[in-house]
Amino acid sequence: MPAALEVTDLHKRFRSPLGRVEAVALDGVDLEVPAGEAFGLIGPNGAGKTTFIKCLLAICAPDAGTVSLLGGPPERAASRARVGYLPERLALPGAWTPRAFLASVARLKGIPPDPSALESLLDRVGLAEATGRRIRGFSKGMRQRLGLAAALVGSPELLVLDEPTDGVDPLGRVEIRNLLAAELARGATLFINSHLLSETERLCTRIGILDRGKLVRSGPLELLTRVERRWRVAFAEGAPSAELVALGFEPDGPGGWLLVAPDAPALNAALDRARAAGALVVALERASKDLEEVLAEAVEPAR
Amino acid sequence: MKVLAVIADLLREAAARRWFLALAIALTALLLLLLTSLRLEVVDGALAATRLFGEPMFHDIRPADVALRPVFQVASQVVFWGGLLFGVLACADFGPALLSPGRIEFLMALPVRRWELLLGTFLGVLVLAVGGALYAAGGLVLVLGGKTGVWTGWPLLSALLAALSFGAVYAAMLAMALWVRSAALSAATGMVVVGLGLLATHRRTLMAAMENGPGRALFAAVTALVPPLGRMAQVAGALASSAPLAPGSLLRLLLGTLAFTAAVLAVAGYRFERKDF
Repeated sequence: MPAALEVTDLHKRFRSPLGRVEAVALDGVDLEVPAGEAFGLIGPNGAGKTTFIKCLLAICAPDAGTVSLLGGPPERAASRARVGYLPERLALPGAWTPRAFLASVARLKGIPPDPSALESLLDRVGLAEATGRRIRGFSKGMRQRLGLAAALVGSPELLVLDEPTDGVDPLGRVEIRNLLAAELARGATLFINSHLLSETERLCTRIGILDRGKLVRSGPLELLTRVERRWRVAFAEGAPSAELVALGFEPDGPGGWLLVAPDAPALNAALDRARAAGALVVALERASKDLEEVLAEAVEPAR
Repeated sequence: MKVLAVIADLLREAAARRWFLALAIALTALLLLLLTSLRLEVVDGALAATRLFGEPMFHDIRPADVALRPVFQVASQVVFWGGLLFGVLACADFGPALLSPGRIEFLMALPVRRWELLLGTFLGVLVLAVGGALYAAGGLVLVLGGKTGVWTGWPLLSALLAALSFGAVYAAMLAMALWVRSAALSAATGMVVVGLGLLATHRRTLMAAMENGPGRALFAAVTALVPPLGRMAQVAGALASSAPLAPGSLLRLLLGTLAFTAAVLAVAGYRFERKDF
Protein backbone atom coordinates (compact mmCIF):
# COMPACT_ATOMS: atom_id res chain seq x y z
CA MET A 1 0.00 0.00 0.00
CA PRO A 2 1.46 3.44 -0.91
CA ALA A 3 2.33 5.80 1.92
CA ALA A 4 0.06 8.78 2.54
CA LEU A 5 2.83 10.40 4.53
CA GLU A 6 6.56 9.86 4.40
CA VAL A 7 8.91 11.78 6.62
CA THR A 8 12.66 11.30 6.55
CA ASP A 9 15.17 12.65 9.07
CA LEU A 10 13.13 15.72 9.94
CA HIS A 11 14.87 18.38 12.02
CA LYS A 12 13.47 21.65 13.30
CA ARG A 13 15.07 24.07 15.71
CA PHE A 14 13.63 27.34 16.91
CA ARG A 15 16.09 30.17 17.12
CA SER A 16 16.08 33.58 18.75
CA PRO A 17 16.26 36.67 16.49
CA LEU A 18 20.04 36.61 17.10
CA GLY A 19 20.29 33.04 15.78
CA ARG A 20 20.79 31.26 19.12
CA VAL A 21 19.06 27.87 19.25
CA GLU A 22 16.26 28.16 21.83
CA ALA A 23 14.55 24.81 21.37
CA VAL A 24 15.03 21.62 19.42
CA ALA A 25 11.49 20.78 18.36
CA LEU A 26 12.25 17.86 16.01
CA ASP A 27 15.43 15.85 16.10
CA GLY A 28 15.63 13.44 13.18
CA VAL A 29 12.10 12.07 12.88
CA ASP A 30 11.44 9.26 10.38
CA LEU A 31 7.87 8.15 9.86
CA GLU A 32 5.73 6.46 7.26
CA VAL A 33 1.93 6.30 7.42
CA PRO A 34 0.35 3.88 4.93
CA ALA A 35 -2.67 5.14 2.99
CA GLY A 36 -6.03 4.18 4.46
CA GLU A 37 -4.75 3.76 8.02
CA ALA A 38 -5.52 5.70 11.20
CA PHE A 39 -2.31 6.92 12.81
CA GLY A 40 -2.20 8.45 16.27
CA LEU A 41 0.67 10.69 17.36
CA ILE A 42 1.00 10.92 21.11
CA GLY A 43 3.54 12.35 23.50
CA PRO A 44 3.94 14.69 26.46
CA ASN A 45 3.50 18.46 26.20
CA GLY A 46 6.37 20.09 24.34
CA ALA A 47 7.33 16.85 22.60
CA GLY A 48 7.12 18.53 19.18
CA LYS A 49 3.80 17.08 18.00
CA THR A 50 2.27 20.34 16.74
CA THR A 51 5.55 21.40 15.12
CA PHE A 52 5.66 18.03 13.40
CA ILE A 53 2.14 18.56 12.02
CA LYS A 54 3.05 22.08 10.89
CA CYS A 55 6.07 20.71 9.03
CA LEU A 56 3.85 18.12 7.36
CA LEU A 57 1.68 20.90 5.94
CA ALA A 58 4.43 23.43 5.08
CA ILE A 59 3.18 25.82 7.75
CA CYS A 60 6.63 25.54 9.25
CA ALA A 61 9.78 24.93 7.20
CA PRO A 62 12.04 22.14 8.54
CA ASP A 63 15.77 22.81 8.93
CA ALA A 64 16.57 19.45 7.36
CA GLY A 65 14.81 16.34 6.15
CA THR A 66 12.08 15.65 3.65
CA VAL A 67 8.30 15.39 3.81
CA SER A 68 6.15 13.70 1.20
CA LEU A 69 2.45 14.44 1.47
CA LEU A 70 0.34 12.07 -0.67
CA GLY A 71 3.33 11.61 -2.94
CA GLY A 72 4.21 15.29 -3.36
CA PRO A 73 5.96 18.03 -1.42
CA PRO A 74 3.67 19.84 1.05
CA GLU A 75 4.76 23.20 -0.39
CA ARG A 76 2.85 22.33 -3.55
CA ALA A 77 -0.75 23.61 -3.32
CA ALA A 78 -1.98 20.59 -5.31
CA SER A 79 -0.75 18.25 -2.52
CA ARG A 80 -2.50 20.28 0.17
CA ALA A 81 -5.72 20.34 -1.88
CA ARG A 82 -6.15 16.65 -1.00
CA VAL A 83 -5.72 17.23 2.74
CA GLY A 84 -8.18 18.31 5.43
CA TYR A 85 -6.66 19.95 8.50
CA LEU A 86 -8.05 20.84 11.89
CA PRO A 87 -5.60 22.95 13.93
CA GLU A 88 -5.43 22.70 17.70
CA ARG A 89 -7.09 26.09 18.25
CA LEU A 90 -9.00 27.07 15.14
CA ALA A 91 -9.87 30.79 15.04
CA LEU A 92 -13.25 31.18 13.38
CA PRO A 93 -14.87 34.37 12.02
CA GLY A 94 -17.44 35.17 14.71
CA ALA A 95 -19.71 37.28 12.52
CA TRP A 96 -20.16 34.59 9.88
CA THR A 97 -22.63 31.73 9.76
CA PRO A 98 -21.21 28.18 9.55
CA ARG A 99 -22.63 27.92 6.04
CA ALA A 100 -20.72 31.02 4.90
CA PHE A 101 -17.54 29.76 6.57
CA LEU A 102 -17.70 26.38 4.84
CA ALA A 103 -18.49 28.08 1.50
CA SER A 104 -15.34 30.18 1.96
CA VAL A 105 -13.26 27.07 2.73
CA ALA A 106 -14.67 25.38 -0.39
CA ARG A 107 -13.74 28.38 -2.55
CA LEU A 108 -10.22 28.46 -1.11
CA LYS A 109 -9.94 24.74 -1.85
CA GLY A 110 -10.95 25.49 -5.43
CA ILE A 111 -14.28 23.67 -5.12
CA PRO A 112 -17.45 25.45 -6.26
CA PRO A 113 -19.53 25.73 -3.04
CA ASP A 114 -22.52 23.39 -3.25
CA PRO A 115 -25.09 24.55 -0.63
CA SER A 116 -26.68 21.10 -0.27
CA ALA A 117 -23.29 19.39 0.19
CA LEU A 118 -22.31 21.95 2.82
CA GLU A 119 -25.65 21.52 4.63
CA SER A 120 -25.15 17.76 4.67
CA LEU A 121 -21.62 18.23 6.04
CA LEU A 122 -22.99 20.39 8.85
CA ASP A 123 -25.59 17.72 9.49
CA ARG A 124 -22.86 15.05 9.70
CA VAL A 125 -21.01 16.96 12.42
CA GLY A 126 -24.20 17.62 14.35
CA LEU A 127 -24.66 21.29 13.49
CA ALA A 128 -27.81 20.98 11.37
CA GLU A 129 -29.78 23.12 13.84
CA ALA A 130 -27.19 25.90 13.88
CA THR A 131 -26.60 26.53 10.17
CA GLY A 132 -28.12 30.03 10.26
CA ARG A 133 -26.60 31.13 13.58
CA ARG A 134 -23.54 33.33 13.90
CA ILE A 135 -20.40 31.48 14.94
CA ARG A 136 -19.68 33.92 17.78
CA GLY A 137 -22.54 32.33 19.75
CA PHE A 138 -21.14 28.81 19.41
CA SER A 139 -19.84 26.77 22.34
CA LYS A 140 -16.32 25.33 22.26
CA GLY A 141 -17.66 21.96 21.24
CA MET A 142 -19.71 23.45 18.40
CA ARG A 143 -16.65 25.32 17.15
CA GLN A 144 -14.69 22.11 17.20
CA ARG A 145 -17.41 20.37 15.19
CA LEU A 146 -17.40 23.21 12.66
CA GLY A 147 -13.62 22.96 12.38
CA LEU A 148 -14.01 19.27 11.68
CA ALA A 149 -16.63 20.02 9.01
CA ALA A 150 -14.17 22.47 7.42
CA ALA A 151 -11.50 19.77 7.38
CA LEU A 152 -13.94 17.42 5.66
CA VAL A 153 -14.82 19.85 2.83
CA GLY A 154 -14.05 18.20 -0.49
CA SER A 155 -13.72 14.66 0.96
CA PRO A 156 -9.92 14.83 1.44
CA GLU A 157 -7.72 11.76 1.09
CA LEU A 158 -5.79 12.63 4.24
CA LEU A 159 -7.19 14.14 7.42
CA VAL A 160 -4.71 15.76 9.80
CA LEU A 161 -6.48 16.44 13.06
CA ASP A 162 -4.87 18.17 16.02
CA GLU A 163 -6.93 17.39 19.14
CA PRO A 164 -10.18 16.72 17.24
CA THR A 165 -12.32 16.05 20.32
CA ASP A 166 -10.96 18.89 22.47
CA GLY A 167 -13.85 20.59 24.26
CA VAL A 168 -16.42 18.11 22.97
CA ASP A 169 -18.73 16.38 25.48
CA PRO A 170 -18.55 12.56 25.87
CA LEU A 171 -21.55 11.90 23.59
CA GLY A 172 -20.14 14.28 21.01
CA ARG A 173 -16.84 12.40 21.15
CA VAL A 174 -18.64 9.18 20.27
CA GLU A 175 -20.30 10.95 17.31
CA ILE A 176 -16.94 12.31 16.13
CA ARG A 177 -15.34 8.91 16.53
CA ASN A 178 -18.11 7.34 14.42
CA LEU A 179 -17.69 10.07 11.82
CA LEU A 180 -13.95 9.49 11.63
CA ALA A 181 -14.51 5.75 11.41
CA ALA A 182 -16.80 6.42 8.43
CA GLU A 183 -14.04 8.53 6.83
CA LEU A 184 -11.63 5.66 7.38
CA ALA A 185 -14.11 3.26 5.78
CA ARG A 186 -14.36 5.66 2.82
CA GLY A 187 -10.64 5.16 2.31
CA ALA A 188 -9.27 8.30 3.90
CA THR A 189 -6.07 8.25 5.94
CA LEU A 190 -6.29 9.70 9.44
CA PHE A 191 -3.41 11.40 11.23
CA ILE A 192 -4.50 12.30 14.73
CA ASN A 193 -2.70 14.13 17.50
CA SER A 194 -4.62 13.80 20.74
CA HIS A 195 -4.04 13.97 24.46
CA LEU A 196 -7.01 11.70 24.97
CA LEU A 197 -5.21 8.37 24.80
CA SER A 198 -8.40 6.34 25.10
CA GLU A 199 -9.76 8.10 22.00
CA THR A 200 -6.54 7.44 20.11
CA GLU A 201 -6.57 3.82 21.21
CA ARG A 202 -10.12 3.31 20.02
CA LEU A 203 -9.64 4.87 16.63
CA CYS A 204 -6.05 4.36 15.56
CA THR A 205 -4.43 1.20 14.29
CA ARG A 206 -0.91 2.62 14.34
CA ILE A 207 0.71 4.77 16.98
CA GLY A 208 3.79 6.97 17.16
CA ILE A 209 5.22 8.33 20.40
CA LEU A 210 7.12 11.57 20.14
CA ASP A 211 9.29 12.73 23.01
CA ARG A 212 11.64 15.71 22.96
CA GLY A 213 11.64 15.79 19.18
CA LYS A 214 12.36 12.11 18.66
CA LEU A 215 10.01 9.35 17.62
CA VAL A 216 10.71 6.93 20.45
CA ARG A 217 8.12 4.28 19.49
CA SER A 218 6.15 3.65 16.33
CA GLY A 219 4.14 0.76 14.97
CA PRO A 220 0.82 -1.07 15.02
CA LEU A 221 -1.14 -0.49 18.22
CA GLU A 222 -1.47 -4.20 18.81
CA LEU A 223 2.28 -4.69 18.85
CA LEU A 224 3.00 -1.67 21.02
CA THR A 225 0.50 -2.66 23.69
CA ARG A 226 1.28 -6.38 23.64
CA VAL A 227 3.00 -7.80 26.70
CA GLU A 228 5.27 -10.64 25.67
CA ARG A 229 4.86 -13.96 27.49
CA ARG A 230 1.83 -12.81 29.49
CA TRP A 231 -1.64 -14.21 28.93
CA ARG A 232 -5.03 -13.32 30.31
CA VAL A 233 -7.20 -16.35 31.06
CA ALA A 234 -10.83 -16.42 32.13
CA PHE A 235 -12.18 -19.50 33.92
CA ALA A 236 -15.83 -20.50 34.41
CA GLU A 237 -17.43 -19.72 37.77
CA GLY A 238 -16.35 -22.01 40.60
CA ALA A 239 -12.73 -22.39 39.52
CA PRO A 240 -10.49 -23.46 42.46
CA SER A 241 -8.65 -20.24 43.29
CA ALA A 242 -6.15 -21.74 45.72
CA GLU A 243 -5.06 -24.42 43.24
CA LEU A 244 -4.77 -21.87 40.43
CA VAL A 245 -2.55 -19.65 42.57
CA ALA A 246 -0.45 -22.69 43.42
CA LEU A 247 -0.11 -23.42 39.69
CA GLY A 248 1.31 -19.93 39.03
CA PHE A 249 -1.85 -18.01 37.96
CA GLU A 250 -2.26 -14.47 39.35
CA PRO A 251 -5.77 -13.06 39.99
CA ASP A 252 -6.61 -10.21 37.58
CA GLY A 253 -10.08 -8.84 38.27
CA PRO A 254 -13.35 -10.80 38.58
CA GLY A 255 -12.97 -14.22 36.90
CA GLY A 256 -9.70 -13.19 35.24
CA TRP A 257 -6.22 -14.58 35.75
CA LEU A 258 -2.79 -13.71 34.43
CA LEU A 259 -0.27 -16.33 33.42
CA VAL A 260 3.38 -16.03 32.40
CA ALA A 261 4.32 -18.60 29.75
CA PRO A 262 7.45 -18.32 27.59
CA ASP A 263 6.01 -20.28 24.65
CA ALA A 264 2.97 -22.23 23.39
CA PRO A 265 3.89 -25.65 24.93
CA ALA A 266 4.38 -24.04 28.35
CA LEU A 267 1.07 -22.17 28.00
CA ASN A 268 -0.80 -25.37 27.07
CA ALA A 269 0.85 -27.34 29.85
CA ALA A 270 -0.20 -24.71 32.43
CA LEU A 271 -3.77 -24.72 31.10
CA ASP A 272 -3.86 -28.53 31.19
CA ARG A 273 -2.83 -28.47 34.84
CA ALA A 274 -5.54 -25.90 35.64
CA ARG A 275 -8.17 -27.95 33.86
CA ALA A 276 -7.02 -31.06 35.71
CA ALA A 277 -7.56 -29.11 38.95
CA GLY A 278 -11.19 -28.49 37.91
CA ALA A 279 -10.97 -25.05 36.24
CA LEU A 280 -12.79 -24.64 32.91
CA VAL A 281 -11.22 -22.22 30.41
CA VAL A 282 -13.78 -19.86 28.83
CA ALA A 283 -11.45 -17.23 27.31
CA LEU A 284 -7.79 -16.76 26.51
CA GLU A 285 -6.06 -13.70 25.11
CA ARG A 286 -2.63 -12.16 25.03
CA ALA A 287 -2.30 -9.71 27.90
CA SER A 288 -1.88 -6.09 26.78
CA LYS A 289 -1.07 -2.73 28.31
CA ASP A 290 -3.13 0.38 27.76
CA LEU A 291 -1.67 3.27 25.82
CA GLU A 292 -1.03 5.25 28.99
CA GLU A 293 1.37 2.57 30.20
CA VAL A 294 3.02 2.35 26.79
CA LEU A 295 3.51 6.12 26.75
CA ALA A 296 4.88 6.17 30.30
CA GLU A 297 7.32 3.36 29.49
CA ALA A 298 8.49 5.04 26.30
CA VAL A 299 8.94 8.47 27.81
CA GLU A 300 10.18 7.70 31.31
CA PRO A 301 13.54 6.06 30.48
CA ALA A 302 14.69 9.19 28.72
CA ARG A 303 13.78 11.49 31.65
CA MET B 1 -8.60 32.50 -8.73
CA LYS B 2 -7.77 32.15 -5.02
CA VAL B 3 -6.86 35.86 -4.70
CA LEU B 4 -10.48 36.76 -5.49
CA ALA B 5 -11.69 34.36 -2.79
CA VAL B 6 -9.35 36.01 -0.25
CA ILE B 7 -10.61 39.46 -1.32
CA ALA B 8 -14.24 38.31 -0.98
CA ASP B 9 -13.55 36.97 2.53
CA LEU B 10 -11.89 40.21 3.59
CA LEU B 11 -14.85 42.26 2.31
CA ARG B 12 -17.26 39.98 4.15
CA GLU B 13 -15.20 40.43 7.31
CA ALA B 14 -15.15 44.22 6.82
CA ALA B 15 -18.94 44.28 6.39
CA ALA B 16 -19.25 42.81 9.87
CA ARG B 17 -17.03 45.45 11.47
CA ARG B 18 -18.60 48.44 13.19
CA TRP B 19 -15.93 50.82 11.84
CA PHE B 20 -17.08 50.34 8.28
CA LEU B 21 -20.75 50.34 9.16
CA ALA B 22 -20.19 53.67 10.97
CA LEU B 23 -18.35 55.08 7.94
CA ALA B 24 -21.14 54.06 5.56
CA ILE B 25 -23.78 55.57 7.87
CA ALA B 26 -21.78 58.79 8.37
CA LEU B 27 -21.14 59.28 4.63
CA THR B 28 -24.76 58.57 3.76
CA ALA B 29 -26.00 60.95 6.47
CA LEU B 30 -23.65 63.68 5.25
CA LEU B 31 -24.77 63.27 1.66
CA LEU B 32 -28.43 63.27 2.70
CA LEU B 33 -27.83 66.40 4.74
CA LEU B 34 -26.33 68.12 1.71
CA LEU B 35 -29.12 66.84 -0.49
CA THR B 36 -31.85 68.18 1.77
CA SER B 37 -30.27 71.30 3.28
CA LEU B 38 -28.07 72.77 0.55
CA ARG B 39 -29.94 75.10 -1.79
CA LEU B 40 -28.10 76.27 -4.88
CA GLU B 41 -29.82 78.84 -7.09
CA VAL B 42 -28.48 78.67 -10.62
CA VAL B 43 -29.60 81.30 -13.13
CA ASP B 44 -28.46 81.06 -16.77
CA GLY B 45 -25.55 78.83 -15.79
CA ALA B 46 -24.39 81.13 -13.00
CA LEU B 47 -24.62 80.39 -9.31
CA ALA B 48 -26.84 83.16 -7.96
CA ALA B 49 -27.03 81.99 -4.36
CA THR B 50 -26.03 79.17 -2.02
CA ARG B 51 -27.94 78.49 1.15
CA LEU B 52 -27.20 75.86 3.79
CA PHE B 53 -29.93 75.46 6.43
CA GLY B 54 -31.52 78.58 4.90
CA GLU B 55 -28.50 80.85 5.57
CA PRO B 56 -26.77 82.44 2.52
CA MET B 57 -23.16 81.28 2.09
CA PHE B 58 -21.89 83.41 -0.83
CA HIS B 59 -23.26 86.65 -2.26
CA ASP B 60 -21.33 87.11 -5.49
CA ILE B 61 -22.75 85.74 -8.76
CA ARG B 62 -20.27 83.45 -10.58
CA PRO B 63 -20.43 80.75 -13.27
CA ALA B 64 -21.69 77.60 -11.55
CA ASP B 65 -18.72 75.38 -12.53
CA VAL B 66 -16.24 78.01 -11.26
CA ALA B 67 -18.23 78.56 -8.07
CA LEU B 68 -18.20 74.81 -7.34
CA ARG B 69 -14.41 74.45 -7.68
CA PRO B 70 -13.60 75.36 -4.07
CA VAL B 71 -16.37 73.02 -2.92
CA PHE B 72 -14.88 70.10 -4.85
CA GLN B 73 -11.38 71.05 -3.73
CA VAL B 74 -12.31 71.08 -0.06
CA ALA B 75 -14.32 67.87 -0.50
CA SER B 76 -11.33 66.16 -2.15
CA GLN B 77 -9.08 67.16 0.78
CA VAL B 78 -11.63 65.82 3.24
CA VAL B 79 -11.85 62.56 1.29
CA PHE B 80 -8.04 62.34 0.95
CA TRP B 81 -6.93 63.06 4.51
CA GLY B 82 -10.07 61.84 6.23
CA GLY B 83 -9.99 58.65 4.19
CA LEU B 84 -6.28 58.15 4.87
CA LEU B 85 -6.62 58.55 8.64
CA PHE B 86 -9.82 56.52 8.81
CA GLY B 87 -8.22 53.79 6.71
CA VAL B 88 -5.12 53.64 8.91
CA LEU B 89 -7.25 53.15 12.02
CA ALA B 90 -9.96 50.93 10.56
CA CYS B 91 -7.73 48.64 8.51
CA ALA B 92 -4.88 48.23 11.01
CA ASP B 93 -6.29 44.94 12.26
CA PHE B 94 -6.72 43.10 8.93
CA GLY B 95 -3.08 42.00 8.69
CA PRO B 96 -2.74 40.90 12.34
CA ALA B 97 -6.14 39.15 12.11
CA LEU B 98 -5.00 37.23 9.05
CA LEU B 99 -1.90 36.11 10.93
CA SER B 100 -3.68 35.24 14.17
CA PRO B 101 -2.83 31.82 15.64
CA GLY B 102 -5.39 29.21 14.65
CA ARG B 103 -6.36 31.11 11.52
CA ILE B 104 -3.12 31.39 9.60
CA GLU B 105 -2.27 27.70 10.13
CA PHE B 106 -5.68 26.71 8.82
CA LEU B 107 -5.36 28.98 5.77
CA MET B 108 -1.86 27.74 4.99
CA ALA B 109 -2.95 24.13 5.06
CA LEU B 110 -5.46 24.97 2.31
CA PRO B 111 -4.27 24.94 -1.31
CA VAL B 112 -3.67 28.69 -1.20
CA ARG B 113 -0.21 30.09 -1.84
CA ARG B 114 1.24 32.53 0.65
CA TRP B 115 1.55 35.31 -1.91
CA GLU B 116 -2.13 34.82 -2.78
CA LEU B 117 -3.06 35.42 0.87
CA LEU B 118 -0.89 38.51 1.05
CA LEU B 119 -2.01 39.97 -2.26
CA GLY B 120 -5.66 39.13 -1.57
CA THR B 121 -5.51 40.92 1.79
CA PHE B 122 -3.83 43.97 0.25
CA LEU B 123 -6.23 44.14 -2.69
CA GLY B 124 -9.23 43.57 -0.42
CA VAL B 125 -8.26 46.61 1.65
CA LEU B 126 -7.65 48.57 -1.55
CA VAL B 127 -11.14 47.64 -2.80
CA LEU B 128 -12.53 48.97 0.50
CA ALA B 129 -10.56 52.20 0.10
CA VAL B 130 -11.63 52.68 -3.52
CA GLY B 131 -15.25 51.86 -2.63
CA GLY B 132 -15.32 54.34 0.27
CA ALA B 133 -13.63 57.12 -1.70
CA LEU B 134 -15.85 56.64 -4.73
CA TYR B 135 -18.98 56.51 -2.59
CA ALA B 136 -18.12 59.84 -0.95
CA ALA B 137 -16.93 61.58 -4.12
CA GLY B 138 -19.66 60.04 -6.32
CA GLY B 139 -22.35 61.06 -3.85
CA LEU B 140 -21.06 64.63 -3.80
CA VAL B 141 -20.94 64.75 -7.62
CA LEU B 142 -24.53 63.49 -7.80
CA VAL B 143 -25.83 65.95 -5.18
CA LEU B 144 -24.09 68.98 -6.64
CA GLY B 145 -24.71 67.90 -10.24
CA GLY B 146 -28.40 67.38 -9.56
CA LYS B 147 -28.72 70.80 -7.92
CA THR B 148 -26.61 72.83 -10.35
CA GLY B 149 -26.57 70.89 -13.61
CA VAL B 150 -22.73 70.89 -13.50
CA TRP B 151 -21.62 67.31 -14.08
CA THR B 152 -17.95 66.42 -13.69
CA GLY B 153 -16.05 63.17 -13.31
CA TRP B 154 -12.84 64.76 -11.96
CA PRO B 155 -13.76 64.35 -8.28
CA LEU B 156 -14.02 60.62 -8.91
CA LEU B 157 -10.51 60.54 -10.34
CA SER B 158 -9.34 62.57 -7.37
CA ALA B 159 -10.93 59.98 -5.05
CA LEU B 160 -9.09 57.18 -6.87
CA LEU B 161 -5.83 59.05 -6.28
CA ALA B 162 -6.66 59.18 -2.55
CA ALA B 163 -7.33 55.43 -2.55
CA LEU B 164 -4.06 54.78 -4.35
CA SER B 165 -2.19 56.86 -1.78
CA PHE B 166 -3.79 54.82 0.97
CA GLY B 167 -2.64 51.68 -0.85
CA ALA B 168 0.98 52.80 -0.38
CA VAL B 169 0.38 53.48 3.31
CA TYR B 170 -1.40 50.15 3.80
CA ALA B 171 1.40 48.20 2.11
CA ALA B 172 3.75 49.45 4.84
CA MET B 173 1.19 48.60 7.54
CA LEU B 174 0.80 45.06 6.20
CA ALA B 175 4.57 44.59 5.98
CA MET B 176 4.96 45.66 9.60
CA ALA B 177 2.28 43.16 10.68
CA LEU B 178 4.46 40.40 9.19
CA TRP B 179 7.28 41.32 11.56
CA VAL B 180 5.21 42.10 14.63
CA ARG B 181 1.60 40.90 14.76
CA SER B 182 0.10 43.98 16.37
CA ALA B 183 -2.76 46.18 15.18
CA ALA B 184 -1.44 49.11 17.23
CA LEU B 185 2.00 48.87 15.64
CA SER B 186 0.43 48.50 12.21
CA ALA B 187 -1.61 51.68 12.77
CA ALA B 188 1.47 53.48 14.12
CA THR B 189 3.38 52.48 10.98
CA GLY B 190 0.56 53.94 8.87
CA MET B 191 0.73 57.21 10.80
CA VAL B 192 4.52 57.35 10.43
CA VAL B 193 4.25 56.84 6.65
CA VAL B 194 1.61 59.59 6.44
CA GLY B 195 3.88 61.88 8.46
CA LEU B 196 6.92 61.04 6.34
CA GLY B 197 4.78 61.57 3.24
CA LEU B 198 4.02 65.09 4.42
CA LEU B 199 7.70 65.74 5.13
CA ALA B 200 8.61 64.32 1.71
CA THR B 201 6.34 66.93 0.12
CA HIS B 202 8.44 69.70 1.62
CA ARG B 203 11.78 67.88 1.64
CA ARG B 204 13.68 70.51 -0.38
CA THR B 205 12.55 73.37 1.87
CA LEU B 206 13.32 71.36 4.99
CA MET B 207 16.69 70.17 3.71
CA ALA B 208 17.68 73.75 2.94
CA ALA B 209 17.25 74.49 6.63
CA MET B 210 19.43 71.54 7.73
CA GLU B 211 23.15 71.35 8.37
CA ASN B 212 25.11 68.95 6.20
CA GLY B 213 25.75 65.67 8.00
CA PRO B 214 24.36 62.21 8.67
CA GLY B 215 21.01 63.56 9.92
CA ARG B 216 20.41 65.47 6.71
CA ALA B 217 21.54 62.50 4.64
CA LEU B 218 19.20 60.19 6.51
CA PHE B 219 16.32 62.63 6.10
CA ALA B 220 17.10 62.93 2.39
CA ALA B 221 17.23 59.14 1.96
CA VAL B 222 14.02 58.40 3.85
CA THR B 223 11.96 61.17 2.29
CA ALA B 224 13.22 60.21 -1.17
CA LEU B 225 11.66 56.74 -0.74
CA VAL B 226 8.28 57.70 0.70
CA PRO B 227 5.53 58.99 -1.64
CA PRO B 228 4.99 62.75 -1.12
CA LEU B 229 1.45 62.45 0.19
CA GLY B 230 1.01 66.20 0.64
CA ARG B 231 1.76 66.66 -3.05
CA MET B 232 -0.64 63.85 -3.89
CA ALA B 233 -3.35 65.63 -1.90
CA GLN B 234 -2.64 68.88 -3.76
CA VAL B 235 -2.90 67.10 -7.11
CA ALA B 236 -6.09 65.37 -5.99
CA GLY B 237 -7.55 68.75 -5.05
CA ALA B 238 -6.50 70.26 -8.37
CA LEU B 239 -8.02 67.33 -10.25
CA ALA B 240 -11.30 67.56 -8.34
CA SER B 241 -11.61 71.27 -9.12
CA SER B 242 -10.63 70.77 -12.78
CA ALA B 243 -7.54 72.95 -12.30
CA PRO B 244 -4.63 72.47 -14.72
CA LEU B 245 -1.65 70.32 -13.68
CA ALA B 246 2.00 70.65 -14.64
CA PRO B 247 2.72 68.29 -17.56
CA GLY B 248 3.93 64.86 -16.37
CA SER B 249 3.54 65.68 -12.67
CA LEU B 250 0.63 63.29 -12.13
CA LEU B 251 2.36 60.47 -14.00
CA ARG B 252 5.56 60.91 -11.97
CA LEU B 253 3.60 60.88 -8.74
CA LEU B 254 1.62 57.80 -9.77
CA LEU B 255 4.69 55.87 -10.86
CA GLY B 256 6.56 56.80 -7.68
CA THR B 257 3.67 55.73 -5.46
CA LEU B 258 3.20 52.47 -7.36
CA ALA B 259 6.92 51.72 -7.18
CA PHE B 260 6.93 52.33 -3.40
CA THR B 261 3.86 50.10 -2.94
CA ALA B 262 5.30 47.31 -5.10
CA ALA B 263 8.67 47.44 -3.33
CA VAL B 264 7.13 47.30 0.15
CA LEU B 265 4.83 44.45 -0.89
CA ALA B 266 7.81 42.57 -2.34
CA VAL B 267 9.66 42.90 0.99
CA ALA B 268 6.50 41.78 2.83
CA GLY B 269 6.11 38.83 0.46
CA TYR B 270 9.75 37.81 0.99
CA ARG B 271 9.22 37.86 4.74
CA PHE B 272 5.89 35.99 4.52
CA GLU B 273 7.31 33.21 2.33
CA ARG B 274 10.04 32.49 4.88
CA LYS B 275 8.07 32.89 8.06
CA ASP B 276 7.18 29.93 10.26
CA PHE B 277 3.77 29.88 11.94
